[in-house]
Amino acid sequence: MSTTPNTYWRSLNELARNDEYRQLVEREFPENASELTDGYSRRNFLQIMGASIALAGFTACRKPMQKIVPYTRMPENVVHGNPLHYATAMPFMGSVTGLVVTTHEGRPTKVEGNELHPDSLGGTHILHQASTLDLYDPDRSRGIRQGDEARTADDFAAFCASTFTRDKRVAFLSEASSSQTLNRLKRQIAGRFAASTWVTYEPFGEENVLLGTAMAFGAKRRPIHHYDKAAVIASFGDDFLAAGPDSVRAAKQLAKSRKVMSTEDGMNRLYVVESNYTLTGTNADHRIRVKESEIAQALFALAAALGADGFGGHTNAFTGNGDIARLAADLRGANGAALVTAGADQPPAVHAAVAAVNAALSAVGATVTYAALPFADAADQNAAFRALTADLAAGRYDALVMLGTNPVFTATGDVDFKAALSAVPAVVHLASHIDETSAALPSNGWHVPRAHYLEMWGDGLSFTGAASVIQPMIQPLFGAWSEIEVLSTILTGSRTGGHDLVKQTWTGSDWNRILHDGLQAGTSFPAATVRLTGAAAIRAAAEALPTVSGLEVAFKADPKLIDGRTANNGWLQELPDTITKITWDNVALMSPTTAAGYGVEFPRASILRAPADEEPMVAVNVNGKTLELAIWVVPGHADNAITVYTGYGRTHAGRVGNGIGVDVNPARTSSSPLFASATATRIRRTYPIASTQDHHSMEGRPLIREASLSGYREKPDFAAKMVKVPGPIDEAGQPISLFDEQTFPDHEPQWGMTIDLNACTGCGVCTIACQAENNIPVIGKKEVKRGREMHWIRVDRYFSGDVNGNPQVVHQPIPCMNCELAPCEQVCPVAATTHSDDGLNQMTYNRCIGTRYCANNCPFKVRRFNFFNYPKTWLIEGNDPEVVQMAMNPDVTVRFRGVMEKCTYCVQRLNRAKIETKRATGDSRKPADGTVKTACQQACPSDAIYFGDISDTESVVTRTKRNERNYLLLEELNIRPRTSYLAKLRNPNDATA
Amino acid sequence: MAQLFPEWSNRVPRMLLVGSVFFVTAVVFFFWHFGSHDYLEVGYAPKQPIDYSHRLHAGQLGIDCRYCHASVENSAVASIPSTQTCMNCHAQIKVDSPKLALLHESWETGAPIEWVKVHDLPQYSHFNHSAHVNVGVGCESCHGRIDRMEVVMQAAPMSMGWCLDCHNNPGPNLRPVDQVTTMGWVAPPNQFELAAEIIARKNIAPPVYCNACHY
Amino acid sequence: MSQSTYVPEEPLVKGNHTFASITSLIADIPEQPTPKWWYIAFGISNILLGVLLMSIGYLFWEGTGIWGITNPVGWGWAIINFVWWVGIGHAGTLISAILYLFRQGWRTAINRFAEAMTIFAVICALIFPGIHVGRIWLAYWMFPLPNGMQMWPNFNSPLLWDVFAVSTYFTVSLLFWFVGLVPDFATLRDRVKSKLAAKIYGFFALGWTGGNRQWQHYEKAYMLLAGLATPLVLSVHTIVSFDFAVSVIPGWHTTIFPPYFVAGAIFSGFAMVMTLMLIARKLYKLEDIMTLDHIEKVNMVILVTGNMVGFAYIMEFFIAWYSGVTYEKAAFINRAMGPYAWAYWTMFLCNVISPQFFWSKKMRRSITASFILSIVVNIGMWFERFVITVTSLAQDFLPSSWGYYSPTKWDMLTYLGTFGLFFTFFLLFLRFLPMVAIAEVKMVMPQADPHHTDAHKGDH
Repeated sequence: MSTTPNTYWRSLNELARNDEYRQLVEREFPENASELTDGYSRRNFLQIMGASIALAGFTACRKPMQKIVPYTRMPENVVHGNPLHYATAMPFMGSVTGLVVTTHEGRPTKVEGNELHPDSLGGTHILHQASTLDLYDPDRSRGIRQGDEARTADDFAAFCASTFTRDKRVAFLSEASSSQTLNRLKRQIAGRFAASTWVTYEPFGEENVLLGTAMAFGAKRRPIHHYDKAAVIASFGDDFLAAGPDSVRAAKQLAKSRKVMSTEDGMNRLYVVESNYTLTGTNADHRIRVKESEIAQALFALAAALGADGFGGHTNAFTGNGDIARLAADLRGANGAALVTAGADQPPAVHAAVAAVNAALSAVGATVTYAALPFADAADQNAAFRALTADLAAGRYDALVMLGTNPVFTATGDVDFKAALSAVPAVVHLASHIDETSAALPSNGWHVPRAHYLEMWGDGLSFTGAASVIQPMIQPLFGAWSEIEVLSTILTGSRTGGHDLVKQTWTGSDWNRILHDGLQAGTSFPAATVRLTGAAAIRAAAEALPTVSGLEVAFKADPKLIDGRTANNGWLQELPDTITKITWDNVALMSPTTAAGYGVEFPRASILRAPADEEPMVAVNVNGKTLELAIWVVPGHADNAITVYTGYGRTHAGRVGNGIGVDVNPARTSSSPLFASATATRIRRTYPIASTQDHHSMEGRPLIREASLSGYREKPDFAAKMVKVPGPIDEAGQPISLFDEQTFPDHEPQWGMTIDLNACTGCGVCTIACQAENNIPVIGKKEVKRGREMHWIRVDRYFSGDVNGNPQVVHQPIPCMNCELAPCEQVCPVAATTHSDDGLNQMTYNRCIGTRYCANNCPFKVRRFNFFNYPKTWLIEGNDPEVVQMAMNPDVTVRFRGVMEKCTYCVQRLNRAKIETKRATGDSRKPADGTVKTACQQACPSDAIYFGDISDTESVVTRTKRNERNYLLLEELNIRPRTSYLAKLRNPNDATA
Repeated sequence: MAQLFPEWSNRVPRMLLVGSVFFVTAVVFFFWHFGSHDYLEVGYAPKQPIDYSHRLHAGQLGIDCRYCHASVENSAVASIPSTQTCMNCHAQIKVDSPKLALLHESWETGAPIEWVKVHDLPQYSHFNHSAHVNVGVGCESCHGRIDRMEVVMQAAPMSMGWCLDCHNNPGPNLRPVDQVTTMGWVAPPNQFELAAEIIARKNIAPPVYCNACHY
Repeated sequence: MSQSTYVPEEPLVKGNHTFASITSLIADIPEQPTPKWWYIAFGISNILLGVLLMSIGYLFWEGTGIWGITNPVGWGWAIINFVWWVGIGHAGTLISAILYLFRQGWRTAINRFAEAMTIFAVICALIFPGIHVGRIWLAYWMFPLPNGMQMWPNFNSPLLWDVFAVSTYFTVSLLFWFVGLVPDFATLRDRVKSKLAAKIYGFFALGWTGGNRQWQHYEKAYMLLAGLATPLVLSVHTIVSFDFAVSVIPGWHTTIFPPYFVAGAIFSGFAMVMTLMLIARKLYKLEDIMTLDHIEKVNMVILVTGNMVGFAYIMEFFIAWYSGVTYEKAAFINRAMGPYAWAYWTMFLCNVISPQFFWSKKMRRSITASFILSIVVNIGMWFERFVITVTSLAQDFLPSSWGYYSPTKWDMLTYLGTFGLFFTFFLLFLRFLPMVAIAEVKMVMPQADPHHTDAHKGDH
């Protein structure tokens, strides 16, 4: 069973002949026409389709005859050519994050954070930024199917009416959801059938956390951390900065105390206890390197050291460990301003212990509050899922309804969900693609295309409890359904529009205001009062936890693909991993010492040898399964341990995600899904890995300038002082130059940028945001392996310290520096790259003939070349190019083969802002400070990027450039970059120094 | 021995020398002229699905440009009117004229009318109507006497050089902002002072760097 | 046992040749029927030429991505080959112009085909700047042509200087070559049997009759062109070297490049002349004209320029250390010990060590040694360009963007193809034109010296 690509029109003329289209236009008004009043018709996709074709940016070749296709009925508040912004929210793992979506003529093209939303505050993470591409994924399923037969919506409604009768025993399997409407319908369901079960299945959800708090407090509670209130933070395997339901808020709060702007400012201290190097680990001031199975033990030792309830006299391998002792002292010293967290994938006992520790630190109510979740089931959902699988297999149910989720792929090896499916008479699977589960449905099973959040009505609660309504930006492509629409059809036997369902839930609320703001003002979870009751139980559970003595394998959710749900998203597949910089693959991550055991030398002993083209491989035997993976050395990884990521090796993800990497789920067990003891042997095969940064060391060059907080206080301008610029100085105080000065001091504005390396976490959201904003193509593994990645802003990663011990990691985002004396400009023979009056280093695509001289001469190597006609394969030749074209930003030209491209500080935004300002003021060309943001700056969850007019002495960016931490990269070349950096600081505990 | 070449062949080298000079010059000017926008673009007047007459609507009836091209003051594009806009009048006027059959069909079915683009800048040139109209560059300056065109035709070359001519010296093409849609506006004798005044008041400094239009 | 203190210089032409025998020795070649080996060689060259056209066609179709170039190495074999061929193109004009001004009689034996080699090499070189750009169909934007965009090329760009330098060099070399050919065209015109051939040769002979005034004009013109060509010989590779020297990349950003490149160019050019000369004199039995003395003289030039290049190599390292620039130092340490060390040491061996053999007279006069070393030198000079272009780019300022460049089969096929182009031209030249400047050789023969009979009186 596979998607049939051509059920969708290919051109306007065909569109006119398209049946779907006829049906729609024959109706007097399109669906939900009653909503024309609140401008619903703006989202009427079919009528604006034409406009979007005329607008999608295109390459340097002019067509003989261009058509203009106007609206037939002009939608309200659309000014043709100007983008509109609407608030909505993106659901993910049971929480929603408030977003503002930019739409061009009804096409959502870009998402930004909603500044009004407490869990976004204007920030986003990589999954938010990449989500627009998912909407326009041509591999999405194109319609309802039963077995291999296409079915209509009416067929499905009829099936529901006949099947879901009151006498039936029905099982429901859904992703974690905080949707008020969904849960309203869920309650109706509960009473409706003879027997019904509802299981929430999230392979990497927060169930363990809830079970842990249940163990501690007697009821499931969600711990909400307040990182901004904590002076000392200790994370036990908790990668809270990696994209997740709460990561944006976490990054914002952590960054708050890391923006050290003067020697008076303080800075929090972050300890991370982990096995693999994670994003959070790279930001740690102290990183304690232990095997995954030892994290719990380290925590219990800490609990004992702090005298947490239930751990009196508890001893284990870490009792008396120096690092833990110092950590304990530091935490206690913070009196109340301390916070301990643990990774959601850690077993419940760990979270229970964390609760005990935080209680012992009297952090509860200060740095951590607990929330009672309105929609959480009391039962253990992990266990419930296993039970359900067994019951299904035993034929105890007449029907199964799966709202999203892909259990056939994500379930652990010991749970044979596929077999269970075949034993159910009637199965309904709501899924965006014909994924592994849909493909495994029995021949009479129903697949219903699932709506993307940008094309559906819905609602939900944020991680901290802010209530939002999800409003569609566009009518469902491919007639997709939302969860609530399916549920209501099951309940009523006929389809009700998502809008009406949501509206029912929200009756009595200030509907239009909520739609406008993107959330219901002032809503959040009240802090629940908790009392630690389960001390004894925690102790018992803790001491029952297994440990692994020999080699162990840890199974972690991939930071980009999670459980594989985003595997068909090219932007995420091609986003380099924050630590390894690997794209398009998962590998066996291990420390240099461990790798040496398999005959891998790191770093390569003989530099005389040309680098090997392919990586050595290792066969990992775990739980009776064998995983053959490429060996990848991560300095700082725990020894005698291997980490592998889930979400790869999908077979029904789509053309992008199929066959990428290795599926490790079969080797996991539901009893211990996180880690298992294993054996591994080097095998003869090798495997090509596309990594965008092979070199791990900074070679002692002053690229990322770092100091300890105390060092900074002694010598605040240490960064600028690290390099002496040679040569004579001119009257302007600048080193003299052979070339014409490229600055126009009389012309305002003068754009400039500053990047705070202390606030930057290295998450990589800037890269995706830039890709979405600037129509940057995805080029695939083969080309990335060749080193032809196209990202305009990359995040460099360097290891410092002893690579065989516990080295530190630093990140550095590198966009185009827009040098005032740009080396690239001097050498272009056709003047395709020149300087603009407002200080930009311009790249004129249509003038470029592609000598690549500019890229050669760029000291930062930020220029990217279209070696092939990269967009062609998916924008022109791909099936349904119109669909993918709709993701394009019409303000940015799509670059043709043989053309150089690079970061332009989002010049399309700057120009729009300048014209808007002129129109508004009548005479000013200079947008007010802060009104124009670059895509990377706007997306950054920790506000590490400052951008603005440096001719304005009071603008934020000018003030940051005056800061003592400010320095210029490669200043000694006298190229005068417009992008500068604020030096990185760390706040080590002197007791450990 | 016998002469290999006739006597006139002595002149051949000289002729070649002179001829080649003329030839090369000719080639250059051939491409210069026949490759130019003035030759290729100006006068492009494609047939439209509905033969709508600007001479009638804009000229005789004197409908303001902005009635149909509504977004010209607030957006990069002037926008082609929606069927709705036409129907505002043609719901009553000339309801059953065969010329308007397509219009009414579009109104009933909702199928958009596919007009042919006349002024077709390449996608890499971002022209913004509002930026020009709001500082007093008249429609006429680029589009010519639309009010005299039965079928709309491209009046100006719209080549980069043509744009730059005005960006380097905007004065001659500036007029009071309330006159931008006027057709056949005659520059007053004090146009120079007028332009200088507008330039000062509107702080006009037309950009001539690449990123102003190409990005 | 002569009393005379006067030892006459070794005659440049061996064997008891008269003017007439010299004429027939050379001019017979185009007149005799084509030898079999020529057809075979020409066939092979044409196949290679086909390979060149095919790979260029595929390049047009697919884009520069078919080559191994990448970030950070934006220039690969295309530029390397360009510089290499231009370098080879140096010897010809140097021999004919500079040695002419220095009155080096021995040049006459080899200047004709050395110049031919120059022209064909430069043609091969000129292919690359044209095809290596991403949008080949717009390459003409590099020329200052009037256009509707009111856009001119960027005269700051060394790449632009390159276009002008190389094309000027080509034009002047061609002119110089042709002027030298005129009297010999006339000779052939008067000798050939077929009327058509006579007309063709006659056309190019421009009605040369060998009259006194014609000879005066000829000499004057030749002298002027020599004067004009001499600075070009030095300028062209100087400007090619600017492509690298003007940039900021460590390993490129060096003031030593101009002399270093010119020396290298002469080095490889003479090596190529040697290779071709040895083949030609064997095939066409020209040992009397291209004598061992000639070979020895050429080898001396190779030895000298080789050592100049070697000096430059060592100087680069000294400067890198002396400058105290971190990045410069690292760049050169990487050259000698980095991932491309194999290329560096190949270059060093071929260009610095191998010419040292020519310190020994035996080697200088050994045909075999000369032949092998001349080829070794050209391999070495190709690697020099590889080392400069690739290793500098592969590892520059930010270690994060370091990469490794390896060519694809299309890089190699294109390079191979240029040999097809070169030898197609060269074989046609050997076949249809006098490969030695008949008139000029006669001038350096003993008979040309009015007093040579007196000299004879000198001995017994």
